[in-house]
Amino acid sequence: MDGINEILRIHSSLGTFWWILLGLFFVIYIVLDGADLGAGVFSLMLKNENDRAAVMASMAGTWDANETWLVVAGGVIFGAFPLVYGSTFNYLMIPLMFALWGIISRAVAFEFHVHAKGSKAFWGKMFGLGSLVAAFFAGVALGATLLGFPMSKGNAQGIQVANDPFVNTVPHFSGNALSFLSPFSLWTGIAAVIAGGLAGTLYLCARFQQDDPIYQKAYAWATTFSYLALVAVVVTLVWSYAIMPDAAKWTGPGWIGWLILLLAILFSAFRMMMAHAAHRDFPALLWCGAIVVLMWGGMWATNFPYIVPQTWTIAAGANPANDLAILTLFMTGFVPVMIMYNAYQIWVFRHRLTHLAGYESH
Amino acid sequence: MILENTLPILLSRLDFAFITSMHILWTPVTIGMSWLLFFLEWAWLRSGNEKWYRLQRFFEKLFIVNFGAGVATGVTMEMAFGILYGPFSQAVGPFFGNILGFETITAFMYEAGFIGLMIFGWGKIGKGMHLFSTFNVALSSSLSAMWILVANGWMQSPTGVVLKNGLFQVTNWWTAIFNPNFDIGFPHMWIATLELALFFFAAVSAWFILKNRHADLFTTLLKPTLLALIVITPLQIFIGDELGREVAADQPTSLAAMEGHFHTYLANGKPDTSWNLIAIPDVAAGKNLFSIQIPHVLSLLETHTWNGVVTGMDHFPVKDRPNVWVPFYAFRIMVTIGFFLFFMALWGNLLRLRGEFTADRLRRHPNFLRLMVFSGFLPYLAVWTGWWTREIGRQPWVVYDLMRTWQGVSHMSVSAESLWFAGYIVFELMVWGGAWYFFSRIIQKGPDVDSPVVGSPEATASGGGLAQPSFAKPTLEKTR
Repeated sequence: MDGINEILRIHSSLGTFWWILLGLFFVIYIVLDGADLGAGVFSLMLKNENDRAAVMASMAGTWDANETWLVVAGGVIFGAFPLVYGSTFNYLMIPLMFALWGIISRAVAFEFHVHAKGSKAFWGKMFGLGSLVAAFFAGVALGATLLGFPMSKGNAQGIQVANDPFVNTVPHFSGNALSFLSPFSLWTGIAAVIAGGLAGTLYLCARFQQDDPIYQKAYAWATTFSYLALVAVVVTLVWSYAIMPDAAKWTGPGWIGWLILLLAILFSAFRMMMAHAAHRDFPALLWCGAIVVLMWGGMWATNFPYIVPQTWTIAAGANPANDLAILTLFMTGFVPVMIMYNAYQIWVFRHRLTHLAGYESH
Repeated sequence: MILENTLPILLSRLDFAFITSMHILWTPVTIGMSWLLFFLEWAWLRSGNEKWYRLQRFFEKLFIVNFGAGVATGVTMEMAFGILYGPFSQAVGPFFGNILGFETITAFMYEAGFIGLMIFGWGKIGKGMHLFSTFNVALSSSLSAMWILVANGWMQSPTGVVLKNGLFQVTNWWTAIFNPNFDIGFPHMWIATLELALFFFAAVSAWFILKNRHADLFTTLLKPTLLALIVITPLQIFIGDELGREVAADQPTSLAAMEGHFHTYLANGKPDTSWNLIAIPDVAAGKNLFSIQIPHVLSLLETHTWNGVVTGMDHFPVKDRPNVWVPFYAFRIMVTIGFFLFFMALWGNLLRLRGEFTADRLRRHPNFLRLMVFSGFLPYLAVWTGWWTREIGRQPWVVYDLMRTWQGVSHMSVSAESLWFAGYIVFELMVWGGAWYFFSRIIQKGPDVDSPVVGSPEATASGGGLAQPSFAKPTLEKTR
């Protein structure tokens, strides 16, 4: 019996370990690519095609790596929590499909816009709209996941066969294609666009020279977005508290911890707006990142021990113990390495640009 | 009705087959060409000869357009397992999910972490660091191919697992990773990427020589390219034959479909050793309606003996048999292309031996050059047909002999599946059309032979829109 208990204990700690890493990958993705997507949304408001090209040039060397954190998060869900991966992605088919179409449009627009002559305006639109659609549907997918989804055992396609070894033990998603749709998930989509817009405009402020027209436009929009984001955060928190069972923790016995977290978020927001007002653009961007990290961490902690609220716990969704151990053994060491070479790449492309960067062919 | 033929199952297969086919147009070029770019850059740094630099920068422009298309279509692939094949993803998760996790962490991200430095780092990082970045992109993309072939190879020959609680739990990681199909399937795919990239180089070079633009520059490139191909093309045929024998041993239904081999034994009790050159298969009747046969060739190919027994389709129940039309003809197209490309490599090297390898003399062989341009497209078709053979030959199984395709399909309505298919037709064709259009634009424009070489004194005055860095440049700069 002791042996079995020991295995269960290891399994649960390894599962929790990967749950934390997964949270880390997601938050890195949101901080980095959120800014890229937001800058894409902002680019829709630029009149000149060369200004849009300058926005694209500002992330030319890093957008692919930033976006790849999403793929890493997806790979880690598949590797560490395959039961969650196989059901949640099925549930999110429609929003993910649209987000992927957005990602496709924007990824090719990066490469085509530079070479295009007659179709430059088209690819510029594809870049901006692709970013908007990707951000919106990623937000919808997140909101839908927070609400959980129905599952049942039995064959996913409803084909009944006696003694099927795959259907009687593992629960599959059993709702329909539109199960993801709810006022809350639509709202989180809008909130994601607002948050992305804030991160994107702050990012552009940090990447363009302060006397540049793109800087000035992004600066004004960042101010607007910061107020919108404040409203969005409050609405999301109240709404979540009203409908999510796990949010009851916020006012439970550990309320003091949640209060400190809330104060830390408010403090970061205050510092972000102060830094922005003082044109200290890079600190403003970092404080914005801090808000995202704190809020994401808070959400992750709220959901514990669930990975998908009210649907999959960490333990139930995780791989069997020996497979998790292999993943841990072989992959953990790569995580700091991954972060290091990404940091180096971002550092190389840190210089400020002007709107003329769009004329540079690369 | 057989379960695998219901509409939702067929649509889910079509959905996945389409995004895979459109993704595999890009990644082999990335994998193969990144090594070639590395060698060009290395040749430039070693010899100091500017022409290698010009070629590297020219093909790099094509590379990055191709890379963007690969990323655009690749993110979908990583998610599509869970979306379209949820129950499959859950069941194979302990092994397959881990391998995909390995792939994203050790390859996908690794590549993304250096691609920016490789493409946009010119002049911002030192030459040594840049060469290192190019090398990392090459290594990481090959690693990516390796993990994907581990995962797909395991679906063809699933070893090292046991089915417990509805999950394939791994009992031996070593045998699961180095499964029999992977051991030969990966070299076959990896060599294919090099062959594709080399023919891409050769075709572009031939086009420029034919048009008499930068003809000397591209003749210089054609020489080592053809030399590499005289090794690669026969090697690929050899490895392909090895893979065929592996499939014969581990996936007899797939081999029977590839060869249109319905009867293990002839009516007189002797083994059927004949190889079908072409045939009109009738799967329902379990025979070929018409075929041109060459005796003993099938046994020679698959068993390397004169009269060896090759298991035919009649050995298996009807419900376990794959479609024959697609694997049979796709396989034949791939093999024909493989031999034709070998012929082109021979022809090119023969011309070189005869001293015809100067731009002027080569233009007296316009047919060779035209066929070489045409040969640039053939490896794409070979990669497609090869992969279709592999995937359709495995049906009706998703994990061979263990899990049937219909058992792995997600809970989806026909309308959701149709929306996916329609949407991806639009977006994937946009990617394909756009990428090939811009390939042609870049090729039309030709290599830039005028702007100053990176690292030269003229190049340090930075132009258009790039403000001076606010703090010191990265210090890895090394001047030669």
